[in-house]
Amino acid sequence: MKESKLWLVLSLFITCLLSAFALSQIYNMTLPQIEYQRNVAGLKAAFGAVMPDADRFEPATPDSSVWFAYSGEKRVGSIIKTAQQGYGGLVPVTAGIDLEGKIIAIKVASASEGLKETPGLGLKATEPDFRNQFAGKNVFQLRLKKDGGTIDAITGATITSRAVTDGLREAVEKYYDLLVPTPGVENE
Amino acid sequence: MNNGPKPSRLSYLTSGIVKENPTLILMIGLCPTLATTVTARDGLGMALAASFVLVCSNVVVSAIRKIVPDSVRIPIFIIIISTFVTIIDYVMQAYQPDLYRVLGVFVPLIVVNCIILGRAEAFAYHHGIIDSFLDGLGKSIGFALVLFIMGTLREFFGSGTFFGKAVLPAAYRAQPMLFAIFPPGAFFLIGLLKALVNKTALGKRSQ
Repeated sequence: MKESKLWLVLSLFITCLLSAFALSQIYNMTLPQIEYQRNVAGLKAAFGAVMPDADRFEPATPDSSVWFAYSGEKRVGSIIKTAQQGYGGLVPVTAGIDLEGKIIAIKVASASEGLKETPGLGLKATEPDFRNQFAGKNVFQLRLKKDGGTIDAITGATITSRAVTDGLREAVEKYYDLLVPTPGVENE
Repeated sequence: MNNGPKPSRLSYLTSGIVKENPTLILMIGLCPTLATTVTARDGLGMALAASFVLVCSNVVVSAIRKIVPDSVRIPIFIIIISTFVTIIDYVMQAYQPDLYRVLGVFVPLIVVNCIILGRAEAFAYHHGIIDSFLDGLGKSIGFALVLFIMGTLREFFGSGTFFGKAVLPAAYRAQPMLFAIFPPGAFFLIGLLKALVNKTALGKRSQ
């Protein structure tokens, strides 16, 4: 029986069948956890540039425009996402905010991520020269210089610069209570 | 295989650790040994994954050895081995994502690890379940030992850390011996380990 032709075929068939059954079970058991890990990694990739110290992010508002950033169990800041009308369309901005309400870093969506500003002018909002001005700024400083603030507008692209700066300021103002925890009160 | 007096069960377990160490004496499974031992943690992670597959495949192959036709045994072994590899792949992806990212392609490549198919063919196919389990465990320990030693030494010299914890002064860690964590360092180190094994009593038997 061990070497019969039928058994040659059948033994391989049974092996494959059992293997496929076992793997489908294991796959279904681990899938939710794998998806979760992928989301965590995806969030790290999206928010890591503006909040390098954090290793975990949790949405703080139902529309996901504010995220709390944690390093281990300790909250280290927040992520704020906003998009205001610019020259060619919405200008999506992601910013990391520390627990005192100051900006750590900002990221403006690139052209490949859907930014429709003019190349050479408004598109410069994604470059470090413009972005890096925001580091350390609080909500009162978040205004273009020509509007009485501290941010240099991109030459020839005031509308884009304003969309980034004002969009960010309005978002920070709107969620200020979420971003800056009241001392002594657990803000979860 | 030499057919002297029948070896005791315990020797199935212990022979794999030193006397028939898969990596340093039999010189098989070198690819993961060289590629995944940049840190002690990676080396140990790889060793644990391979050990799981080796022990499980040895047991299953031994359990079905009497009904498997000789002419299709290799495809059947491969299916069994790749099933266990895929299981460990999913589990690692779900619960150890960082390790999974580091080990990357070397997890699926456990399928073609010579140690595992070699033991299935040379040992488990001819021995009972308990003996095959002990053999798989012993070879796993031997494999894990080498990967752990390699990973520890390379991490120590190449990064000045042990399991990610700093052990050498910051001045060294700022400018470590990068050679150790680059691929040539792996070849160099396995050469030194092999030389050490050959020079001592451990290697005598293999000559």
